[in-house]
Amino acid sequence: MPIQGLTIIGESINDSVPSTKKLYEANDIAGLKELAKSQDEGGAGYIDVNVGSRTPEFLAEMVRQVQSVTAKPLSIDTPDPVMAEAALKAYDLSRAGGKIPALNSISPLRVQMFELKKIVPFKPILLVTERNENGTGKPNHTAEQTYDTAKQMIAEAKRHGIAVGDCIIDAGISPIGADSDDQFQRLIKSIRMIHDDPQFKGVHMSVGLSNFTVMLPPKRADGSPTKGPLESAFLTMAMPLGMDHVIGSVKRKYEILAPDHAAMQCLAHCLKLEGFDVIMRVQEYYA
Amino acid sequence: MSDLKTLSQAVVKGNRKDSVEITKTLLAAGMKPLDIVEKGLVPGMAEVGEKFKNNQIFVPEMLIAARAMKEAMALLEPLLVQAGIKPKFTAVIGTVQGDLHDIGKNLVAMMWKGANFGVVDLGTNVSPDKFAAAVKEHNAQVVGLSALLTTTMPAMKTTIEALKKTGLSPVKVIIGGAPITQEFAKEIGADGYAPDAASAVDVARQLMAA
Repeated sequence: MPIQGLTIIGESINDSVPSTKKLYEANDIAGLKELAKSQDEGGAGYIDVNVGSRTPEFLAEMVRQVQSVTAKPLSIDTPDPVMAEAALKAYDLSRAGGKIPALNSISPLRVQMFELKKIVPFKPILLVTERNENGTGKPNHTAEQTYDTAKQMIAEAKRHGIAVGDCIIDAGISPIGADSDDQFQRLIKSIRMIHDDPQFKGVHMSVGLSNFTVMLPPKRADGSPTKGPLESAFLTMAMPLGMDHVIGSVKRKYEILAPDHAAMQCLAHCLKLEGFDVIMRVQEYYA
Repeated sequence: MSDLKTLSQAVVKGNRKDSVEITKTLLAAGMKPLDIVEKGLVPGMAEVGEKFKNNQIFVPEMLIAARAMKEAMALLEPLLVQAGIKPKFTAVIGTVQGDLHDIGKNLVAMMWKGANFGVVDLGTNVSPDKFAAAVKEHNAQVVGLSALLTTTMPAMKTTIEALKKTGLSPVKVIIGGAPITQEFAKEIGADGYAPDAASAVDVARQLMAA
């Protein structure tokens, strides 16, 4: 049973996934289409398409190929405006039943990408992990900075005629196993600030959930899985704060956990801990 | 000698209280700071690297071990400086321009420190010129370039070009990061590729021995 109210943006068609990279390198289009189909059938709301640093033409072709096997909307995944333009031009709106694609992602450093909505309207994923300081990206270290960037990006979207309800904010999730500088706290606090602010009413939020548990061992000392429960625990905490999308895996079987679940307790403690103690607590969870 | 072994084990276990206490005891007993580093801390971190490569431990354990090493090292460093002892190699490290990811870069910096290299960490989003200037300033033998995004990989190439342009003594460039491959390293003229933080030590040592 998928979690009600959670839209999964299927992450698998991505050049940075090693098994997918192999498909790209072998030009195995049939294999890539199969991957799209399996994510559709697995319950993905969107199929993310990321071809790495290949050509705009190739991304456009991938959009057509993936749409030939799924009627789900796509999430066009590139920071490059030229590639995004090619992909949006190739996108077949009617094939997706009129559902507009997501554009993953627009950051404060590339707001010109909003202009691409002239080709086809889209739901922008607004990356608010960095801010624009005189043309250079500066990482947001605090919840307040993240929230401020989110406000600016929503205003920018509005200026381009994109409604708040069509925006998906990504406040950035960091690996919890290396979180020695309170990034998890920052994330939870910033999504809470966004959720509590009426000017964000109707906004969607997302994170690249698999990033949360990279670098951790697959299994806990008792043989049970480490990662899935931690990701589910994150969702259990974040969904009431407005997290309603996730770039993730349809194979993961996310679920809402009870408060006494070990993974829930781990994250609840992590929220109260600071610095290195977060890493120690995560280690205690699986060791 | 058994105390040096205990020190190594304190590092491997990430027990910073023990690593600091044992270091103090060894110093009080008159052991040379450099011996404590080279025969106690360095073998400890080498074991950590080995276990990491073999998937016996993971990033959290590595970070916890590195902290135990660092706190012991903090006692020793001023003494080494006082005695005029410098690390054999100096390495400059940073995440390339446009990229703000630092976990991988930090892990490599820790492992290099744990191998008793001098490490100058330039942080993230480092421009080619800044790398070149730091190599010159610190007279570095090794440069580590990190990138997590496929979109920032080209900045590795421009950084290598900037380093070549300075005409400085041949500094060895090692690159790494999730999207990086051995082929890419070859293509852009990097001297070495490190698939993980532990290997970055081996690669640097091999290049220095060559």
